[in-house]
Amino acid sequence: MSTPADLLVLHTLRCIGFAELARVARAAGLGEPETESELIDLAVAGLVTRTPGAFGGWGLTDAGRAADAERIAAELDGGGARPAVTAAFERFLVLNPELLDLCSAWQMRVTDGVGEVNDHGDAGYDARVLARVDDLHRRATTVCAELAAALPRFGRYPDRLGAALGRVRAGDLEWLADGMDSYHSVWFQLHEDLLATLGIPR
Amino acid sequence: MISGKERGLRVLRELGLPVPPWFAIGPAECRAGVTDGLVTDGLAAELADGVRALETATGLHFGAAGGGARGGTEDDAGGGTGGGGGEGLLVSVRSGAAVSMPGMMSTVLGVGTRDALHRAVATVVGSWDSPRAVTYREVHGIPHDLGTSVIVQAMVHGDRDERSCSGVAFGRDPNTGEPELYGEIVRQARGDAVVSGERPTEPLTVLPEPVRAALRAALDRLEVHHRDACHVEFTVESGSLWFLQVRPGGLAGRAAVRVAVDLADAGLIERREAVRRVSPRHVRSARTPTISRTGNGSDLIARGRGASPGVACGRIALTADHAAQMAAHGPVVLVRPHTSPLDMHGLAAAAGVVTVLGGPTSHAAVVARAMGKPAVVQAGLSVDLPASRVRVGEHSYPEGTVVTIDGSSGEIVLGEAAVTSGAADDHLRRLLEWAAPPGADPPV
Repeated sequence: MSTPADLLVLHTLRCIGFAELARVARAAGLGEPETESELIDLAVAGLVTRTPGAFGGWGLTDAGRAADAERIAAELDGGGARPAVTAAFERFLVLNPELLDLCSAWQMRVTDGVGEVNDHGDAGYDARVLARVDDLHRRATTVCAELAAALPRFGRYPDRLGAALGRVRAGDLEWLADGMDSYHSVWFQLHEDLLATLGIPR
Repeated sequence: MISGKERGLRVLRELGLPVPPWFAIGPAECRAGVTDGLVTDGLAAELADGVRALETATGLHFGAAGGGARGGTEDDAGGGTGGGGGEGLLVSVRSGAAVSMPGMMSTVLGVGTRDALHRAVATVVGSWDSPRAVTYREVHGIPHDLGTSVIVQAMVHGDRDERSCSGVAFGRDPNTGEPELYGEIVRQARGDAVVSGERPTEPLTVLPEPVRAALRAALDRLEVHHRDACHVEFTVESGSLWFLQVRPGGLAGRAAVRVAVDLADAGLIERREAVRRVSPRHVRSARTPTISRTGNGSDLIARGRGASPGVACGRIALTADHAAQMAAHGPVVLVRPHTSPLDMHGLAAAAGVVTVLGGPTSHAAVVARAMGKPAVVQAGLSVDLPASRVRVGEHSYPEGTVVTIDGSSGEIVLGEAAVTSGAADDHLRRLLEWAAPPGADPPV
């Protein structure tokens, strides 16, 4: 059972926060024209709104947030996916602190008890961190596969995580923890998606 | 080789400080004594001997409470309700590695039966090989073959009643090295609640004066004994103070400089030892710009943990939407209980961020560092959204109040604070003189 495009766009905004069209489309895995058309329909229905300004973008209204919670819960229980998603979320929670440790180690290096910004000048250190990220990614991929089997819309996450890691491997170091589509950002959105899907307050 | 944790327990006991009785099983015995998650007969016999000694020391009977166990950092070996006031002996099962790996290893609290004890020991020993612990060792260059010992200790109950709490206390301010009692507690909670970042903490000033005096006296004695600044983990059970752990050292930057100079001035260490203890890294860190506070800290609103270095000043914004709107009219500091992706536009708009929950490796901290914004996490304050105020004890500050935050020291002060580079630090100047007397080339 695949999620209808309007709910997919609505729920994407629920998980990524304020975003411009291109980022909504990438996160939802839809083309920009289709995404924009859905956003306009959702805006007409009063569920999303576009805030102008430097820190604006498309975002949910209160009504949109309520509608998303209702429809996402119905999708979860209608498909009988709750037990599988709950089990996968528990496995995710084991991986989450390790991913945060790794992002922190990537950003700050602690030597003699002093934390300093990692200037990426020590290739050996970076390689050790990345080797552990690879290992974690393998374990995360299994969890994502379980999620996607229960609810196909979760299949976007392993694709986006894999793409971010590929960029890091290609030398774009900021794709691990910086930027809106970095490995950590996608992971953070997956965390939010699991909480929103299961109706758990953060 | 005994672990730092067990060495600390011995020191506490030798100094006559109140420590619940314990016994330890060394890393080799642990490694040999746990196979496929089960405890061998040999280790079971050793555990039984140890438990008998704890029964003698406490006058309590193991197995009488029928307690299960409550899991620590990663695992739950128990089930059952966990203890908290039964008549029987309950124990905690903790790891004790030769190299400290804070937060990486499992702890099981409130174990009250033999089977639960065996499961708890297997869990703690097994947590050495958990992926997160492996990652920690890889990143920090710690050998994988050291293994862990296990410490089994009679429980004291920080969650027993309203006169109970768990906490951590420093003999010196860990940011400046100034001799003053510093730390935090969580009321009616076990020790794991203090470090988890899942519950708000309160400063030690909320403790009754006799408890604070006892902590101060103990930390002074420990500093003399270790010839280094110390911090302790403690539990107050129905008003009685118990020490669970002491760790010397661990201060960095200007605090490390201050401690080394003070200890040399007190004749506890030689000047050349003071110089040896302070690496160029500490000196560099001591020169990082931080908030310069005037007077006795009356301008200090609250403290938390520095999670992304730097100093930011701005008006308090309590939601991401407000931050985005207010930022058009000048810098803002976003203050949130925690953050989610829905706060990202607020973070982008803010000059700095403060969160109440979550530690230095929370999502908020990672994002703040990625954006190069100063961040303070686990701040000792609460966000009252309906009233649009930040509350700290009796005090409250409306949204829009100008504050300055320090992402290194974790300080949050009222108004626009002055910033010091640390170059004028008298302790640093003296230490550098000891390292290279006038006329010689500076060492750093």
